[in-house]
Amino acid sequence: MSEQVKIIEKKKIPTGTTLIFGFPDVGLVGVIAASHLIDELNLTEVAYVDSELLPPLIVLHDGLPHSSIRIFSDHNILLAVSEVPIPTDVIYPVMNALIDWGKSKSAKMMISLSGIPIQDRQDVKELKAFAAASSPEMLKLAQDKGIEVLTEGYMVGPQAVVLQRAANSGPPALTLLSQCFFNYPDPEAAAEVLKELEKIIGLKVDVAKLLEKGEEIRVKARDVMKRTQQEMSKMKKGQEYDIPMYVS
Amino acid sequence: MSTKRKRTISDIIDAYFDEFERWAEEFEETVMQRPSWNLKNCTMEPLREMMVAPTEVVVTVDLPYTNKNSIKVKPVSHTSLEVSAKLKKRIRLDDLGVSHCKGEFERFHCHVRIPVPVNMDDMSTHFKKGILEIRLPRKY
Repeated sequence: MSEQVKIIEKKKIPTGTTLIFGFPDVGLVGVIAASHLIDELNLTEVAYVDSELLPPLIVLHDGLPHSSIRIFSDHNILLAVSEVPIPTDVIYPVMNALIDWGKSKSAKMMISLSGIPIQDRQDVKELKAFAAASSPEMLKLAQDKGIEVLTEGYMVGPQAVVLQRAANSGPPALTLLSQCFFNYPDPEAAAEVLKELEKIIGLKVDVAKLLEKGEEIRVKARDVMKRTQQEMSKMKKGQEYDIPMYVS
Repeated sequence: MSTKRKRTISDIIDAYFDEFERWAEEFEETVMQRPSWNLKNCTMEPLREMMVAPTEVVVTVDLPYTNKNSIKVKPVSHTSLEVSAKLKKRIRLDDLGVSHCKGEFERFHCHVRIPVPVNMDDMSTHFKKGILEIRLPRKY
């Protein structure tokens, strides 16, 4: 199935970097964080995903067509980002292709940026962040940096595929999750997850502008959030609220 | 022991129209693809969600870029509410990256249908971090 998803390279791709994923999900945490990384670090597009499995959709920028799933790079990172939610039925082939491509570029680590929804989020003053990992070594890395581990629970979506694949065949992976709204764009949570990313890979990112423009981002992101809600409903994202029943 | 009030013809007609309106809204949501904004009225539709609890219905509405004192929550029937809030400043379509048509927005506006009987008179509201929370005690 992965052969049906191609990664088209536009520029020379650096090897031995960290491959980061920021896709539309709860609170749009991943995509808001990724968008801020692109702006703040002035990342350039180096590759994109091409597949007939994806809906017939392009993103127009300055009048020119772009794939909805693109890969940006600089500062020793590769950042895969999607401006629209990945349809549930193609998450596996798209993520498998991205992971295989990352392996072919000797990615040393994969990190998904996302959120973990909580009720009454508006009443929470300080957001907490958590990590889940593909191996005990990666968990230790997160813990050593002071990030709390998400010990039990369910994970649904692209980041679940990344952790599962990484646990089986590498490269090692980590998912960073900030507490967030489920159905509303959450720039504060995106800022929180970027702070955790800095702890892991040492990439300094100023989140002041992100927080300052938070309300504007929330106005602009309404439609993407609405489409993402529809996909989350299809993939049963609400399962992340479920009380886990671990069978040992 | 509870006593059940007899339904009047007016109640039955109201219920019929409420049902029809709900069906029409669901049809529009699922079949018609429409924008989340209305240029004629200069309004944008906010994101919202609803939770039906045993004793109350809690509606939240995402109203970023608005001030608390501009928010209006108005019951329009036994089963529906109208929510509107003025934006801190007008937002043009250009500001949102839309260049193929002109227009601007001055407020959020939406209509919220409540699926179970509630006491509209006992409604309470709370606004924090741009999220409006509306609590409506359920009527049994």
